[in-house]
Amino acid sequence: MSAPPNAPRLWTVCSALARVALMNALQYREGFLVEFFVGTGNVVAILLPLAVIFDRSASVAGWNWDQSLLVTGFFLLQSAVMGGLVEPNLGAVVEGIRAGQMDYLLLRPVDAQLVASTQRVAPAKVWDAVAAVGVIGWGLHGTGLPDLGAFAAAFALLLAGILAMYSLWLLVICLSFWFVRVDNLRYLLGAVADAGRWPVDIYRGVARVFLTVVVPVALATSWPALALLGRLDVALTAQAIVVSCGLFALSRWAWLRALRSYTSASS
Amino acid sequence: MRILWMAVPTLWRVAVAGMVAYRAEMVIWILSATLPLVMLALWDAAAIAGPLEGFGQTDFARYFTVTMIVRQLTGAWIVWELNYAVRSGTLSPQLLRPVNPLVYNLFETLAAIPWRLLVLIPLVGGLVAWRPEVLFVPEGWRVPLFGISTLLAFAVAWLVQALFGMLAFWFDQAMGIFSVHFALWSFFSGYIIPMALLPEGVSRLARWLPFYSSLGAPVDVLLGRAGGLEVGAQALWVVALSGLLHLAWTRGIRRYGAVGA
Repeated sequence: MSAPPNAPRLWTVCSALARVALMNALQYREGFLVEFFVGTGNVVAILLPLAVIFDRSASVAGWNWDQSLLVTGFFLLQSAVMGGLVEPNLGAVVEGIRAGQMDYLLLRPVDAQLVASTQRVAPAKVWDAVAAVGVIGWGLHGTGLPDLGAFAAAFALLLAGILAMYSLWLLVICLSFWFVRVDNLRYLLGAVADAGRWPVDIYRGVARVFLTVVVPVALATSWPALALLGRLDVALTAQAIVVSCGLFALSRWAWLRALRSYTSASS
Repeated sequence: MRILWMAVPTLWRVAVAGMVAYRAEMVIWILSATLPLVMLALWDAAAIAGPLEGFGQTDFARYFTVTMIVRQLTGAWIVWELNYAVRSGTLSPQLLRPVNPLVYNLFETLAAIPWRLLVLIPLVGGLVAWRPEVLFVPEGWRVPLFGISTLLAFAVAWLVQALFGMLAFWFDQAMGIFSVHFALWSFFSGYIIPMALLPEGVSRLARWLPFYSSLGAPVDVLLGRAGGLEVGAQALWVVALSGLLHLAWTRGIRRYGAVGA
C-alpha cells in the first residue's frame, strides 16, 4: 500500500480513471439498444403487478399507487448505480484474483480500492436511470411537489443506501480473496436486493429488519421515498447513517485485511 | 444411438461428480431464485384487505410456493454455457467428443435437481411454519398430471434456453436478446403474476404460449386452475421446439465451422 495521496491528486486520478472507463465501455455500442429493451422490460415487470393490485385496492401496507411509484423509481436509480458503476468493477476484481491481474492493480501508486472501484462503467445502465427519473416524476405528479429540503434528504438517503450496498458488495468480493469458488455470492446479493423494489412496509417481522439492517436496500429505495413524502423522522435518518457508515467501515477493514493475505494467482 | 444409451451411466456419473465438486456454488445459484418469495410478499400484503379475483392470502401462499418449487425443478443454464462456449471457442473441443455437448449439458442440468430439492426443503419448511395453510391435499389425479406437466415444463424451459444460446452462432448480443425474452416470460409465465389476474383477453392467449408451458401450466394443474388441455399444449411445444433445436443446431454448427474456430 502506498501513502495516501493528497486531495487534488486524488481528484485527477479519479477523473482520469472515469474517462478511461467510459472510453473503454463506449467501444461496444450495440449493447445499448438491447439494454434499452431489457431496461423497459424490467420497469414493466415491476409496475405490472403494482398496477393490477392498485387497480383493485387504494392502498397496500399504507402506500398508494403514487407513493409506490416513488419507491420503484428509487429502486431503479439504485439498480442503475449498482449495475452501471459498482458491479462491473467489483466483478472484475473477482476475475483479477482468479487470473492474477490483481497484481498489476496493486503495483499502482494509488489506493487499490479506489482504482478497483472506478476502472469500469456500464453506460447502458443509463436507461435505468432515465426510467427512474421518469417514474419518480410520475409519482410526484400524483403526490404533489415536496420542498427542496425533502429532495436533499431523499438524495442523502439514496447515497447512504448506495454506500451501504457498495460496502456489502465489497465484503462479498473480499470473501473471494480466500474462497474464489463462492464468487457467485454477488448474484445472490443482487437477488436479495430485488426485494427493495416494493415499499418496505409490505414485509413484516424479520424480513423487514433484514432489508433495513443486514441487506439495507430499503435505505436506498423506501426511505428516500418517505423523505419525499415528508414522513421521515430523525430515528430513521440516524439509523440510515449508522448502518451505512458501519457497513462501509467494516468493508474497508475487510478489504485491507484481504489485501494483506493476497498471494497472487501464481504463488 | 445405441452407443449413446451405453454412455448414459457414465454421463450420469460424471455429471453428478461435477455437481458434488461445485456444491457450494450450486447452492448459492439455487438460492438466487428467490423472486417468487419477493412476489409473494407483495401479493400477500395486497390480499390482507380481501381476496383479489378469488385469490386470498392462502391462495397466494400456495401459488408462489408451488411456483418456487416448479421454477427450481425446471431450472436450466444452458443459454449461458452455450453462449460462452460459442463466443470463447471452447465449443470446439466439446465437439470432438463422441457425445453431443447439448446431451452432456442435459445430464448436468438433471444432476443438479437433487441439490435443488435439498435447498427447497428449508425454504418450503419456512413457508409452512409461517403459514401452515400452505399445505393442502390436491385431488388424486392431479398429482401424476402435475408430475408429467413439470417434466414437460422442464423440457420446454431447457429447449428454449438452448435455442437462445444458439443465437450466439449468429449474433453478438444473444444474451441481451435472452434478457428481453426473460422479461416477456416473467409476464406471461405466471412467474410474477398468476394467469387468473391478467386481463381476460391476455390470459386466454397467454395460456397457449411457451412461456406458460415452461412454468405456469404445472402450477395451475396442481392448484386446480388448469388440466389436460394445457398439458397437451405443453407436449406440442416440446415437439415443435425439439424440431427447431435440431434445425438450429445443424445450421449453427456449420456456421461455427465456417467462422474458422
